[in-house]
Amino acid sequence: MDNNIQENQDIMVTGPDPKKIIRTEDDRYGDVVISAYDLHKNFKIYFDKGNQLKEKLLFTKRNRYELHHVLKGLNFEIRRGEAWGLIGENGCGKSTTLKLLTRIMYPDQGEVHVAGRVSSMLELGAGFHPDMSGRENIYTNAAIFGLSRKDIDERIDDIIQFSELGKYIDNPVRTYSSGMYLRLAFSVAINVNAEILFIDEILAVGDANFQSKCFNRLREIKASGTTIVIVSHNLGQIEQICNKTLWLKDGNILAAGPPREVHPKYLQYMSQKRQETMEREQEEKKKKEAEKAAKQKAEPKKEKTAGENDAAKKWEGFKNRWGSREIEMTGITLRGDDGKPKNLFGVGENIKLTLDYKVNSPVKNADFGFGIYRGDGLHIYGTNTRIDQFKDFDISESGHMTLDLKGVNLLAGQYNVDVAIQGFDGKPIDFYKNAAGFEVYSIYRDQGTVRIDHKWDISSMDIQDETSGKDPADKEKALPDSGAEAEGERQE
Amino acid sequence: MNTIKEVWHYREMIAGLVRRDLRGRYKASFLGFLWTFINPLLQLLVYTLVFSVILRSNIEQYYIHLFVALVPWIFFASSMTGGAQCILNMKDMVKKIYFPREVLPLSSSLAAFVNMLFSFIVIFIVLIVSGRGINPVACLYLPLIMIIELILQLGMTLITAGLTVYFRDLQHILGILAQAWMYLTPVVYNIKIVPKGMLPLFYLNPMTPVIQAYRDILYSKVVPDTTTLVRSVTLGVFILVVGELIFRRVQKGFAEEL
Repeated sequence: MDNNIQENQDIMVTGPDPKKIIRTEDDRYGDVVISAYDLHKNFKIYFDKGNQLKEKLLFTKRNRYELHHVLKGLNFEIRRGEAWGLIGENGCGKSTTLKLLTRIMYPDQGEVHVAGRVSSMLELGAGFHPDMSGRENIYTNAAIFGLSRKDIDERIDDIIQFSELGKYIDNPVRTYSSGMYLRLAFSVAINVNAEILFIDEILAVGDANFQSKCFNRLREIKASGTTIVIVSHNLGQIEQICNKTLWLKDGNILAAGPPREVHPKYLQYMSQKRQETMEREQEEKKKKEAEKAAKQKAEPKKEKTAGENDAAKKWEGFKNRWGSREIEMTGITLRGDDGKPKNLFGVGENIKLTLDYKVNSPVKNADFGFGIYRGDGLHIYGTNTRIDQFKDFDISESGHMTLDLKGVNLLAGQYNVDVAIQGFDGKPIDFYKNAAGFEVYSIYRDQGTVRIDHKWDISSMDIQDETSGKDPADKEKALPDSGAEAEGERQE
Repeated sequence: MNTIKEVWHYREMIAGLVRRDLRGRYKASFLGFLWTFINPLLQLLVYTLVFSVILRSNIEQYYIHLFVALVPWIFFASSMTGGAQCILNMKDMVKKIYFPREVLPLSSSLAAFVNMLFSFIVIFIVLIVSGRGINPVACLYLPLIMIIELILQLGMTLITAGLTVYFRDLQHILGILAQAWMYLTPVVYNIKIVPKGMLPLFYLNPMTPVIQAYRDILYSKVVPDTTTLVRSVTLGVFILVVGELIFRRVQKGFAEEL
């Protein structure tokens, strides 16, 4: 597992050879239907844009612009029947790629070839006329996708049925709720029987029922041999439909491969990034609080309540830390099995918490404690050395403590860790709330709080071990029993 | 060739846009679709008053002489200036959905063309009522010259629609341009009064042979000259090809420019 992630970090630095054409070597798929070679796209960002002739002629200076290199030479080939997902941060070029494939925009360099009838869902309901009825709009909208009247006549019943609009179909579209509007638009786009389908971040349509219906329909479409390209931030959606994920970063392909291989890398990268911003924000917060404290100090204190002198007084500069400070924690780090600090773990991984402390004055009968909370505040687990029947111990010298959490089976989510050093009567010495945080990612879609080891035994079914034959890293990530995964799929 | 095939594929969209254009044109007005007929009639009334009472012309039945040329001219000029907006008006769609962009100028031209056909009903009524009469043989050439004008007009709309996206001023310039162009075309006067030396220049104007053919057919009631027809076809196709070449070039930047 850790070796695996180590490799990923290498990939992150270099990325695949930019000249290499990304393609799938699998004979289940047909000919190449979408191809892009050396795809480049620039955007001109005008400082002060004028479209008028006068402006173009008179204020040549105003036409200064910054050239923004959005795509820097993509190479890929998509074969018939494949489904690809494009992922990446905002502004990485995924939507631009889709616009180039649909010929809404044209590349500045390189070429794009798309063979077959295309339906695109870049924006639903573009071209709807508010005064016309739902039915009339189906005709005009489907016509925009290149369907003839006869084609539409054949499909209109399917479209209306799929949209679940029923008797409202003959009302003007302006009377529709936004959900009805989107449902109608989606129904048209998905029922035009395209050979190639481009989808941009629009699968969040309607309520949960309608969403799962759309998904089933997409699976049907895929099974019938339609080639699909999806841009999404929802990795789960991509995992369900796509056989390949393309991770774009700053206009380059950073990684490409089966979603289950690429997504953990992406999640790790994103959490690293998030941590960086979090740290930056926290630093700023600290700075602000310190400034505030300095200001308060400058002002004469009006009164001192007894509580503030108490053991439970707040740590200076911290909102979420308090105690009498005989002992101070100086560093709290979460580490993986290899001992390297990290904050993203897979379900079932070991987490090692290390804590350094310094002693201001010796303490007798101390204890260490910790608690784990989910991002929404749910208390998952908490204990301390006293509860765990540790022998009492005294702390008189600075040192460190290590806490090994074995096989943390928490499901995907954000978690916070509280760490505390307490005195013999439970008096807080250094109580640090949200001292550390970590994120868990999962490649399965099981639900709840923790994963419970389980095994299925169904007499009428010969369960195969799906994990066999995959690489060891994958096997490690797999559920204890792969039958559970199959079950999860069926629940959908 | 591919473009033609693709545009044909999108015929349902074109039909839809034309319908929407025609229906929307007089929507919410009291007389509605009747305006299609009232408009040319009122124009005729004005011209008759001006040219038979105030500014007398020595051309026999001058108002007809003018009217049979003016209706086709108004179609040409108004759809060239109005069509310039067709890409801008469909901004949201152009930015979000792929379809051959030629669809928009084409449907804008066709809508104007259908409108002109309705005006021709008025022309025929006037020809009969005024006692001028109709030559059925000459009228066989009418559809031909209409198609030629449509081709020419489409070529111009492709150019103006494509360029307006980049230079929004063009829409204002076009109004003046259309007016000047009208006086350089024998619409209000007869080609006969043009000095001989300037004639070759006049024949470079693609609208000259078209207007002449209309006048031959409807006013003079004769079959138009072969040279007039050949000239108009050649110029019309030439403009269309140039228009499409320009349009194809500029349309690549539409999504970014809008």
